Amino acid sequence: MQREVGTLPLAPALRARLAAAGFQTAQELLDTGPCGLSKEIGISREEALEALQVVRQECHGDAARTAGGSGATRKCTALELLEEEQAQGFIITFCSALDNILGGGVQLTKITEICGAPGVGKTQLCMQLAVDVQIPECFGGVAGEAVFIDTEGSFMVDRVVDIAAACVQHCHLIAEAQQEEDHRKALETFSLENILSHIYYFRCRDYTELLAQVYLLPEFLSEHSKVRLVVIDGIAFPFRHDFEDLSLRTRLLNGLAQQLIIIANDHKSAVVLTNQMTTRIGQSQSTLVPALGESWGHAATVRLIFHWDNSQRLATLYKSPSQKESTVAYHITSHGFRDVQPPAVTHSAEGTELNPRKRPRTEEEKQ
Amino acid sequence: MAAKKLRRAQLSQEMCERLRRYQITTCQEFLCLSLLELMKVTGQSYYEVQKLLCKVSRACAPRMQTAYEMKLRKSGNPSSAFLSTTLHSLDRILHGGVPCGSLTEITSPPGCGKTQFCIMLSVLATLPISMGGLDGAVIYIDTESAFSAERLIEMAAKRFPAYFDSDEKLLCMTRSIHLYRELTCCSVLKRIMSLEEEVISKKVKLIIIDSVASVVRKEFDTKLQGNLAERSNFLTRGASVLKYLAEEFSIPVILTNQITTSLSSGPGIRADLVSPADDLSLSEGSSVSGKRDSGCVTAALGNTWSHSVNTRLILQYHDLPTRQLLVAKSPVAPFSTFFYTIEKSGLVLQDRKDQTNLVWEGTNPALQPIRVRSSALKDTSHDAALPSTTGETSRNTSNL
Repeated sequence: MQREVGTLPLAPALRARLAAAGFQTAQELLDTGPCGLSKEIGISREEALEALQVVRQECHGDAARTAGGSGATRKCTALELLEEEQAQGFIITFCSALDNILGGGVQLTKITEICGAPGVGKTQLCMQLAVDVQIPECFGGVAGEAVFIDTEGSFMVDRVVDIAAACVQHCHLIAEAQQEEDHRKALETFSLENILSHIYYFRCRDYTELLAQVYLLPEFLSEHSKVRLVVIDGIAFPFRHDFEDLSLRTRLLNGLAQQLIIIANDHKSAVVLTNQMTTRIGQSQSTLVPALGESWGHAATVRLIFHWDNSQRLATLYKSPSQKESTVAYHITSHGFRDVQPPAVTHSAEGTELNPRKRPRTEEEKQ
Repeated sequence: MAAKKLRRAQLSQEMCERLRRYQITTCQEFLCLSLLELMKVTGQSYYEVQKLLCKVSRACAPRMQTAYEMKLRKSGNPSSAFLSTTLHSLDRILHGGVPCGSLTEITSPPGCGKTQFCIMLSVLATLPISMGGLDGAVIYIDTESAFSAERLIEMAAKRFPAYFDSDEKLLCMTRSIHLYRELTCCSVLKRIMSLEEEVISKKVKLIIIDSVASVVRKEFDTKLQGNLAERSNFLTRGASVLKYLAEEFSIPVILTNQITTSLSSGPGIRADLVSPADDLSLSEGSSVSGKRDSGCVTAALGNTWSHSVNTRLILQYHDLPTRQLLVAKSPVAPFSTFFYTIEKSGLVLQDRKDQTNLVWEGTNPALQPIRVRSSALKDTSHDAALPSTTGETSRNTSNL
């Protein structure tokens, strides 16, 4: 209530007039009333009413915030946060080694960045995640939908069909092994057609379209409330050419990062970005570093770097608030993103309910 | 989309006038401003400005499609998704052939068959759909003046003798291949940007640029200050225009690239050499002195370019006259190798029985080592033993 007039989100011209007339706090405005306000500063009654409504909305928002209620900025204890985090699902990548180093998979409400050399598998992982986010809850997934924003044009529908078919097959095999009712019911809706219909694809040709799309995302996500994954494949590509003004680029990227953080939090979805590698020429050697500069490194919460070691693909967890740095190997097969060799099988009598995502591998499949 | 004027974004007239006074006329400029700047410029409150942002964004944002719609559209006309190369094993591994709607790059040392491959694909694109072609015209941008019309006719006549049985048909085919000779980076870029209208008017179904590397390497010396950034700029700009053309018209775009030597040990600066003869001597030197890791030959134009192309095919030497084709980068195909020779009818795949001895696993497509011809005149005895249908190779060896 004691908020200063200069901090209210009114039109600048109006703010200037209020300041000239001598108003200092929001309470004064509310006390004056629309008619008095319109006479004092010389605006129409409708404009005065509009301004007062904005002020009232702001002050109520403030009051709610200071009273500890729910609003745009939430306040909670670490215990509540812990309970939330533990109950939260992860989006698995089908490569159990990678899931392990990530602490379970790609986390919701966080931004994960994947950097890598060309051809190493970034887009493959994104397509895999767009399918995996739709796995029903009884199989250990989050049962969500996916938004895929493509700036490089590397999204291939045929490949997604292959990956989705393999995923459906995997779930069918688990259901057969475990024979539970809800598994069978979930499988009725988890079909190839449904998976493809729930991947929302946007092709952005330059950074203007990308900015526009991200501005429109909150509205889209409110309409499609089941979306749990937003993938931006190629955040570097539109920003790497035609940019003479590097400070504008930094500003736009920071703005994008902030909007994505808000989207991730408000809609409880994971945001996955892919970045390119660029050559940095040092004094004595040149190294490959993630593109877009140093300041962009702060945008993502979790950073994965994919690279080659001769002919083996490796994934390194480069930055994470809760897991330690480690490197694992992975494979890209015709079914999608996979481990290098099948994980060790634990044959126990009641082993079927240990991990609903895994099924005991029979001898024929250990290839 | 970026250059869209604000008045077409359905903003009110006075708002557009007001913004013009601050020199903001396009959607791009509007979206680049921060919220505070927008409030100052439009004179509106915070919530009003957010509504305006949504309005302008809606005018620029791309249309949404679900993956299912895309799949239906593709399966609706399957023949238009690929250009079959008539090399059956290659087509099978690439799920049909050279994909439409994306950039495919062919990299090789000199004399391996890039231009031959391009000429072959030009012929294939003009064939009717029933024969696996695209039934359309071809735009061929030639920067090295390597295109030979006589070779084109020879290849067409020998490869499809049943179809091209009359001179009339051959001439008809040549009329639908449009050749442009561009010799500088600037003119290549200008030509690419003007292609949109040509594609519509001439019903073009294939664009070939042979080769990107030769103009770029003539003009940009990456050892000089600032040239690396300018070169990346030019390449990404060209790549995005070509991607737009490829996707908009759903046609394949083929680019050829050269090789360079990347010095891996010591001061690891990527040395872009200008003359292919230099590359040859470097690899000669390393194999003679036994230090294999002092440098390896890879595709030119750097890392950024490797990101921009969607598919990369590498042609390299195996032993005369056999060459090898590697699928180094592809979103649908695993790493694979094929042997081929160049004959009168173009490229012909060989099914070699000793293929199983070679254990090939791919690596970083930007650093995939490429084998160059290591001996110039040594193998004359080898040559004589083989049937000389390959008029080209014997000519090449004698010239070197």
